[in-house]
Amino acid sequence: MKLSFSAEDELFRKEVAAWLNDNLVGEFTQLKFRGGPGDEHMFPEERKAWEQKLAEGGWTCVGWPKEYGGRGCSIEQQVIFNEEYARCGAPGHVGHIGEGLAGPTIIAFGTEEQKQKYLPGIVAGKELWCQGYSEPGAGSDLANVKTKARFDEEKGKWIINGQKVWTSLAHESDYVFVIARTDPDSVAHKGLGFFLMKMDQPGIEVRGIEQITGTSEFNEVFFDDAECEADDIVGAPGEGWKVAMGLLGFERGVSTLGQQMQFQNELNQVIDIAKENGAYQDPTIRQRIAKAHTELKIMRYNSMRMLSGQGGGDGSLQKEALIYKLFWATWHRSMGELAMDVMGPESEILDGGPYELSRLQSMYLFVRSDTIYGGTNEIQRNIIAERGLGMPKEPRVAAK
Amino acid sequence: MDFTFTEDQQLFADSVKDFLQGEITAESIRASWETETGRSDELWAQITELGLPAMLVPEEFGGLGMTELDVVLMAIECGRVALHEPIVEMAMVATPLLAALAPNNEKCADLLGQIAGGEAKVAIAHTVNHVVADAHIADYLILPHADQIHLVAQADVKLEAQESVDPSRRLSTVDWTPSEATCIASGAEGVALLAATLNRGALASAAQMIGLAEAMVARSVQYSEERQQFGKPIGVNQALKHHMANCAVKTEFAKAPLYRAAYVLSMKPESADFAISHAKVVAGEAALFAAKNSIQLHGAMGYTWECDLHIWMKRSWALDKFWGHAGFHKNRTHQWLMNPNAQIGADNTFGAVAI
Ligand SMILES: Cc1cc2nc3c(=O)[nH]c(=O)nc-3n(C[C@H](O)[C@H](O)[C@H](O)COP(=O)(O)OP(=O)(O)OC[C@H]3O[C@@H](n4cnc5c(N)ncnc54)[C@H](O)[C@@H]3O)c2cc1C
Repeated sequence: MKLSFSAEDELFRKEVAAWLNDNLVGEFTQLKFRGGPGDEHMFPEERKAWEQKLAEGGWTCVGWPKEYGGRGCSIEQQVIFNEEYARCGAPGHVGHIGEGLAGPTIIAFGTEEQKQKYLPGIVAGKELWCQGYSEPGAGSDLANVKTKARFDEEKGKWIINGQKVWTSLAHESDYVFVIARTDPDSVAHKGLGFFLMKMDQPGIEVRGIEQITGTSEFNEVFFDDAECEADDIVGAPGEGWKVAMGLLGFERGVSTLGQQMQFQNELNQVIDIAKENGAYQDPTIRQRIAKAHTELKIMRYNSMRMLSGQGGGDGSLQKEALIYKLFWATWHRSMGELAMDVMGPESEILDGGPYELSRLQSMYLFVRSDTIYGGTNEIQRNIIAERGLGMPKEPRVAAK
Repeated sequence: MDFTFTEDQQLFADSVKDFLQGEITAESIRASWETETGRSDELWAQITELGLPAMLVPEEFGGLGMTELDVVLMAIECGRVALHEPIVEMAMVATPLLAALAPNNEKCADLLGQIAGGEAKVAIAHTVNHVVADAHIADYLILPHADQIHLVAQADVKLEAQESVDPSRRLSTVDWTPSEATCIASGAEGVALLAATLNRGALASAAQMIGLAEAMVARSVQYSEERQQFGKPIGVNQALKHHMANCAVKTEFAKAPLYRAAYVLSMKPESADFAISHAKVVAGEAALFAAKNSIQLHGAMGYTWECDLHIWMKRSWALDKFWGHAGFHKNRTHQWLMNPNAQIGADNTFGAVAI
């Protein structure tokens, strides 16, 4: 065990800080502290430009291997990068689904050709991705996907039909990764394929879904004879589930580091308001702030501990990783409640109309979904108990 | 000792419930969001016909002469349908203040008559709230100014609309100048009336939150039967049953403090602070807890604008913070408990207000 950063790492910190200090200026100043949880729909164009600025400096995909355009940063350096990134209020990454999910999955499971084709666009911050997993009938029961993929010999392409739902940022994305059934007679997690698809094509239609915030970050995506190149299936037909689960491992891995720093920024904002409006004088508020702070540290230390043990970064589902999602999502949801209690009567009043929520109000609403997406709290608990602790499995009715 | 409601009290609540369940739907609430005032004259006429605006007004001033205890069940029903019309606040908070002054104040007495007849509406401000609800459709505003209370025609103030997180609520800040002519109470009387007003507002909010909580649980239970995952209704999962059972326990157990608060307020209002704060805190907890678990049970669907759940969820959010947020009321409870004369011994189940 060694709970400090090396002198070399501290030099790296200076390098990151200096670059951000020099570049998060001018047109990008307005993006400071924007684009975080509940604010993803804001400044999409400006944040794309920022992503490309980062790419010019070599600051996208810092943890990826150098051969795929990454910076090859160690875990320590990734931690430091994320700390500095959050400290100066650099905006939420518009490309996080590509950088955190699609890219690592392609690196781990993709062909050399797929890597050449897709990774450079992600590294350059030019091509955005979205995640086509959930369907109307496949939420918690993800393996119940009904979207079908059929190989058309004449066209030499996969033809996809079906519907995805809750697809975050589909309306901004260039590509989508889709799980679809390659074997029409299969059930559950057998007979699935994992497809990389271009969004801009006649067979794909995106319709926004209005959220509880009045804004629209997620969508319905309809596939009507949509096409996918023969070479753009990751893994063999029928092996999609393995790839899909590998990806979820990445979702709960390194990509959470930046998120924690955003949490810290939010908590700091709550503390500032409590000082300003006197809420800090209330002992119950003081205790909740202290609790939120200590629990954020628990998350921080445990994610470092988890990453230290991760070794090869193969994306396998680890017990700690599962515990982590349940913990942070529940923590974040409580933080939203704390924020509203600190604001007191002001928490009801909007910044303006029509339905213009303040940052903390939209955070309070958004965090209601943290315990739902990426595996609900209930499902996480089932997995921890069944897979982590070995408790008897829930009886499963075979999906039709 | 008897913790039950009389048959009359039950009947009254049931008749209001029938009326509300027939008239107010999620669709009609959403439709109100699209209108300029968000309020309906036709609906108000029906509400007036039932005598609701002047429920707590003595008969001599044109009202029904009821008490808080008689109407608390009705307020729960208003919460259950997430009623957007301002009846609860007008009937349970504004008119009792006017009624207290009416015997010696003709203006107040006149206004009560107009309210009972459905010819006038009144909105009420308090320092504990940063905004006034439904001032935009009120003919008169009751406005505090230090230890004074003023009754001011809406035409003589400047309202600035403030949007609420709950699209059903219409809020304003008020720009006005107090004058001798508008003052209806001051000094010790003003202070006492303002304190009573705070308690009435908190009671009205608490009652509505119980109705909101029960409505959210009812919707969630229904959804848990309809939505299938893993080849079975999601409601078969113990995790969700426990969520809903926990909500039911919290809400059911918040009712006794609520009823007690209504009782004390109607019998001995000067000693009601503790009971009121207790009710407001537990009702707020019940409503926010039901909101949280109901969204959770609905999955991503519960996070959409299209799903009606947010109508109830956002009202809970607003009312939990209105008429004193949880911290305010917990502190009041704390102060009451630390009082050297606090009657908190074993023989003090009903404390100083054993009436
Ligand atoms: C903001 C947001 C963004 C999202 N973005 C994406 C995206 O980009 N791409 C994508 O593919 N999906 C996305 N999703 C969808 C998300 O992954 C699903 O919402 C999630 O998997 C839950 O599915 P569901 O909403 O259908 O809820 P359901 O599966 O219908 O669950 C409803 C309730 O039942 C409970 N439940 C279900 N089964 C069990 C069980 N066996 N035991 C106990 N409880 C159970 C759940 O925990 C939940 O409380 C997003 C969702 C949200 C809210």
